[in-house]
Amino acid sequence: QKMSIRGKVSDEAGAPLYGVNVALQGTTKGTVSNDKGEYSIDAKAGDIISFSYVGFGVKKVTVGSLSVINVALSPENNALNEVVVTALGISKEARKVGYAVTTVGGEQMTKARETNVAYSMAGRVAGLNISGTNGGSGSSARILLRGMASFTASSPLIVMNGVPIDNTQRGSAGEWGGADNGDGISNLNPDDIESMSVLKGASASALYGARAANGVILITTKSGKKGKMSIDYNLNAVTDQAINFTDYQYVYGQGLNGKRPTNTTSALNSGMLSWGEKLDGASTIQFDGKSYAYSAVKDNIKNFYRSGSSLTNSISISNGNDNGAFRLSIANLSNNSILRNSGLDRKTFNFTGSQKFGDKLKVDLMFNYVDELNQNKPQLSDGPMNANNINFLATNLDQNVLNPGFDATTENGNETQYNDDIYVTNPWFVVNRYRNDVKRKRMISAITAKYDFTKNIYSQIRLGYDQLNDGIFKITPTGTAYSNGQKGGFDELSTASTSELNADAIIGGNFNLVKDISVDVLGGVAIRKNKYDRMAIGGGPFVIPFFYSPLNVLSFNRSYDYNEKQTNSAYYSVDFNYKNQLILSTTGRYDAFSTLPVNNYGIFTPSVSLSYDFTELANSSKLSYGKLRASYAVVSGEPASPYSTSQYYSVGSAIQGTTTGSFSSTLPNLFLKPYTLSEFEIGTELKFYQNRLGLDLAYFNRKTNNEIINGSLSEATGFSNQQIGTGSTQNSGLEALITGIPVSTGKLKWSTSLNFTFISNKIVEINGSGSDQQQLGLGTYRPLNANTALIKGLPGPQIMAYDYVYKNGKIVVDASGIPVQAAERTPMGSVLPKFYGGFNNEFTYKNFNFSFLIDYRFGNKVLSATNYYTIFRGLNQMTLAGRETGVVANGVTADGSANTVNVPAQTYYQNLARRISALNVMDGSFIKLRQVTLGYTINPKIFGNTPIKAVEVSLVCRNLFTFLKYTDNIDPEAGFSPILSYAGIEGNSLPSTRTYGFNLNVKF
Amino acid sequence: CTDNFESINTDPNKTSSAVFNPNYLLSQSQFEYGNTGYSQLLFQSMWTQVLASTFSYYGNGDKYVPSGSFIAYQGRVHEETYRAASLSYEMQNLTKDKPEMSNLYNIGTIMKVLCLARITDCYGDVPYSQALKAKEGITLPKYDTQAAIYPAMLTELDAAITALNTSKAGPTADLMYGGNVTKWKKFGYSLMLKLAMRLTKIDAAAAKTWAEKAYTGGVFSSIDDNAKVLTDNATNGNNTSGALRVPDDYREVRWSKTFIDYLKATADPRLSAIAEVSQEGYAKNTDQNLAGDNSEAIQIGLPNGYDLNGGTTDVAKHPQYPGASGSGADVARVGKYSRPRTSVFIDRSGVNFVLTYAETELLLAEAKIKGWNVGTTTAADHYKAGVKAAAASLAQFNTTASGDASITKAVTAMDAFLTKNPLNVSSTEASLKQINEQIWVATGSTFNFIETWSNWRRSGYPALTAVVYPNGFSNGTIPRRIPYKSTEASYNPDNYKAAVASLTGGDTFTSKIWWDK
Repeated sequence: QKMSIRGKVSDEAGAPLYGVNVALQGTTKGTVSNDKGEYSIDAKAGDIISFSYVGFGVKKVTVGSLSVINVALSPENNALNEVVVTALGISKEARKVGYAVTTVGGEQMTKARETNVAYSMAGRVAGLNISGTNGGSGSSARILLRGMASFTASSPLIVMNGVPIDNTQRGSAGEWGGADNGDGISNLNPDDIESMSVLKGASASALYGARAANGVILITTKSGKKGKMSIDYNLNAVTDQAINFTDYQYVYGQGLNGKRPTNTTSALNSGMLSWGEKLDGASTIQFDGKSYAYSAVKDNIKNFYRSGSSLTNSISISNGNDNGAFRLSIANLSNNSILRNSGLDRKTFNFTGSQKFGDKLKVDLMFNYVDELNQNKPQLSDGPMNANNINFLATNLDQNVLNPGFDATTENGNETQYNDDIYVTNPWFVVNRYRNDVKRKRMISAITAKYDFTKNIYSQIRLGYDQLNDGIFKITPTGTAYSNGQKGGFDELSTASTSELNADAIIGGNFNLVKDISVDVLGGVAIRKNKYDRMAIGGGPFVIPFFYSPLNVLSFNRSYDYNEKQTNSAYYSVDFNYKNQLILSTTGRYDAFSTLPVNNYGIFTPSVSLSYDFTELANSSKLSYGKLRASYAVVSGEPASPYSTSQYYSVGSAIQGTTTGSFSSTLPNLFLKPYTLSEFEIGTELKFYQNRLGLDLAYFNRKTNNEIINGSLSEATGFSNQQIGTGSTQNSGLEALITGIPVSTGKLKWSTSLNFTFISNKIVEINGSGSDQQQLGLGTYRPLNANTALIKGLPGPQIMAYDYVYKNGKIVVDASGIPVQAAERTPMGSVLPKFYGGFNNEFTYKNFNFSFLIDYRFGNKVLSATNYYTIFRGLNQMTLAGRETGVVANGVTADGSANTVNVPAQTYYQNLARRISALNVMDGSFIKLRQVTLGYTINPKIFGNTPIKAVEVSLVCRNLFTFLKYTDNIDPEAGFSPILSYAGIEGNSLPSTRTYGFNLNVKF
Repeated sequence: CTDNFESINTDPNKTSSAVFNPNYLLSQSQFEYGNTGYSQLLFQSMWTQVLASTFSYYGNGDKYVPSGSFIAYQGRVHEETYRAASLSYEMQNLTKDKPEMSNLYNIGTIMKVLCLARITDCYGDVPYSQALKAKEGITLPKYDTQAAIYPAMLTELDAAITALNTSKAGPTADLMYGGNVTKWKKFGYSLMLKLAMRLTKIDAAAAKTWAEKAYTGGVFSSIDDNAKVLTDNATNGNNTSGALRVPDDYREVRWSKTFIDYLKATADPRLSAIAEVSQEGYAKNTDQNLAGDNSEAIQIGLPNGYDLNGGTTDVAKHPQYPGASGSGADVARVGKYSRPRTSVFIDRSGVNFVLTYAETELLLAEAKIKGWNVGTTTAADHYKAGVKAAAASLAQFNTTASGDASITKAVTAMDAFLTKNPLNVSSTEASLKQINEQIWVATGSTFNFIETWSNWRRSGYPALTAVVYPNGFSNGTIPRRIPYKSTEASYNPDNYKAAVASLTGGDTFTSKIWWDK
């Protein structure tokens, strides 16, 4: 007997939920709740009604005799949600989706936050690998989804409320130094983020075309809800502390060849060399002419870096009625880096609004404004003006002796040198004098208009515009030792404008083809335009000291960069749906890229995916949900930059009135075509015991063809780089997410999730020659005796380093008693992990909640410049052996006889470091306790009739503890660049930090 | 709607070959070839004991111990000079079908040979026949043996000079000769002479043939023919001067004792022209605006192989240490040693010498001594002309030098000096020794250190004593080669491996290149 069931759907607090999907299981019947949370549906006893809503757990109720069924939905443990946002911002029921999607709720990013919101995703999503940059506040993230998909694998496409936004890396450090100027995602205010969905596979992202080859991260911002006006205030205050990973020798002190300094020059020449005598506390001369105790100084890192701090205040107001809703937020982040005189100030303003015009037209608007000042972005890696050389002071040299870093007695405040390398700037001079301010003003805006022609046919027009205005103010200060006449110079005053415009129009509909088979159809066109325009002036030396104007210089230089590109696309998507159990989706997309040669610019890429819900078929009481999915997709890609398909010539600066000219040392390629990435994926989602236990498993295998590579060339070819279109990478993997709710009583709930990813990667082809001996050099580290490279047949990127030479298992030593370097560099392993993931646990007990996140990475190598320098400079514990007696290497000479040559320790270890770079290749595996939060929600009842509705206080901590690592003296995660070329290369960046603080959230 | 793609994908700030003037590549190629900066200061200037330094950054050169970015500097000649060659080669690509620009095309060949000669002289076997041809699809060029490179360079050079036509337009952006094709011809033959003489040890017959051909063609005839490249502090300054003006370098780079002692031994009038002792004390030593004292009597060269570290190799331990300059806190420990005169040598708008008339005269003196058919002028007269020209060339460094009283005085005094110190013709060896010592002085005092080093390796003169210092990279000997650029092992691995395999002694500073047998 059919009856009309009606009721109300609310959240746990009793607030009505609007738009909840109410479906009769096993049928196509369904409805949604109205603005009062009310619904009605026809059913009969024994039918199962399911209630699903974004961000809430699905609730299934079996119809009994009652005709009123009121339901309260519980906020979802993120892994179990039933509705997912997919490509183009279309929400789909998870069971209809034939590929892997994982959503992370915004609350994960707001409590224990970092200055780049992307870092908060680390460890939370199977397949997602996030590496930070130790570059100071607001530094970039290297986000790799499912390993290294291609030679140029980089951040997934970031889409905000349906519109792609810019996530360009604004400059990073290389082996010769540089600063990390941040990326696009780091500008966002985590308080504005409702959720982030990760579309992992190619078919998930097929509708985004080229830039989705690395996957897609969909950001949905918070929006106004219908109901009463609400105000939300959040205060987050945290402090950062430098973590000291060093474990140096403190037996011997500063000096050369076993002798302590005897005069200021030898002290200067050994400011970073600990090859002296046994530390004995005796008064010993230092570079400044004064004498200090010759004793160990172990707290230089602690004392040189300060406690960093971040204070974020954000407030939002939202409201809504039947026809529309809005949310407006303002936030301010005020950050001090652990490096003195450096920090980040960010103001964000976010507005989202939605308005209906009649029944058919709905318009959504979003404005997100960011005003950011990153003060004194620190120099990293092995270049001048890098304060982090504090790490390498001789064992008895107190960092405070270097303070203030300049000579206060001279007019120009000349830098005080403490070592003999003029390019190793006095760290105190850096913090007291250097300026490198990076500014950004950014407006991300999107407007969407959706018009329903009929109940089943709609069209939508969307326009997204992301405009970024950047400025850099960078000087070499007056007094800098290496500068022209120690007068300094104006490095850069620049303004750059970047814009990304996306416009698309789609039309779609939903039809019943025949009984039990319905079809969703969608077709659209899109256009994307990018422009970049930068002007910079600079010059030197300064005429008037300390007057840091670009007009106060003896001679000027200028530069102007401009580039522009456009992609035109058309696409379709057709989903066939059989009884909501079997869904076949196909998409197709045509892209035309302006960056490619005219006759090669277009490409069509298809995808197909299948999803099968076998829950009913299995008919098991234990299995609450079961789905199988499979997909195949192709996406395409273009060169990173325009103008690479023809040879250009440019005019240079004149010399004594004679014009000069040149051309780029990157070889153009007239025959480039779009590259492709094809992927096969198969997976399953299983949920047991009323969703208490879940498993999401995916296997993927993908391969690229015709990859466009900017490969290094020997300068003997006349060029130093080339664009080639012959690369191919194969990447496969298995990712799993296991979720569980081991305990769920009225008062105590424990939910847990464990994810892991195995990646198997192989470089299939590089230069198209088919030869087995192909390699493509990527980055190097400054000692220059090792590098990273792509090697055909091996996982990318490999560390290439010089090993020892062995004879009958013994190290071969030359006539001078020092181990012989292998004839060539050999692959030492990939810098990317083979196995990684996270383990997250959340507990709630009454009003308390507690969570911790552990993440881990295994099977990756690190190339450590720090290790090289600690050996070369006598800081490494390994250099203790033979300090006073000399070293007789345990090895054999070329003829096989035992080595007997005794080499003085400094000579031995310095040459050893110089020759055997394999010493600096370390295992980068780790297990870390990434985040811990403890929260308390104050019962709103105690506020009585005050406007306060809820208060939550949390204590938060990030990077609390390292359970396991194999790298001496460094954090295995340390790095100076987010670029894949420099992945796994470490040296001279800021120390990693441990963050503690609290978060206060008040809802009105 | 893709009609505008071609215009979108056209760089608005650069031009195509249809619009660009290939002459501009010549000036850039010359500038990049000439402007070697640190790469010659850190290595050859001190290996040849022309300069010396106690500063550890110069350990590479002064003491054959690695310091600073040692490995990076090994690759400098490779990357900078191939780039210079590439600019000339591209200029040739743009002019090869333009008969009206045939002079520019042939000058391109001369520039390319000039560049490649330096590269092979430093590293030995290097890519030559397949070099610079990435645009033609050769991205992994094979290394040619130096034995093959030299004849090829000489043949190409000969053809290019022959094809130069003085009745046709000369280059319009020429930092060496201002477009004078006649001077380019002389330069071509002078370069041929220099390359010919490189072969004296390994293939005397070929050396003779090519030297005679060069002489017949017409080499430099005065210092007006000197090949030197202009620089400009306002835009593209002199890198060597720039490097030496870095405060530490300025304070601690000095003329070598070997070099100053040689000049003093014969009371060479050039001493006052090139050397000065800075004013007393650390502050004045550091002040780049203060001229030093250039009187002959007080000039002292700094011995190579010493430091300021207070140990056994501290310069104060040298028996002839003159003591520090200044007193109290204002002490410059190497302040009493002679430095290159700032006003002459350390000008950011100063020229970079490439090849001088002094060198061609001295090489002709050697050819004459060897009895080759290079005209009737005696070896002694070539010698005289060469040494005189070397002194006179100092005035060409910059505008200050051209009016410098000490240089003028030295030039005037050269005749008397040469009368007193004529070429020693008592034996072939004695003549060769003296001629090549003067090439050492001529190239050293014009800061053309890579050439100084090559000629020392070729001739064996002057007889230099290697410094003794711990931790060296060349087994206590003066380097005779530079290891290949470190990235060659990954960017051109197979060819690099083959090249290293044919080196006796491996890819080291001590292996000898072909002509240095």
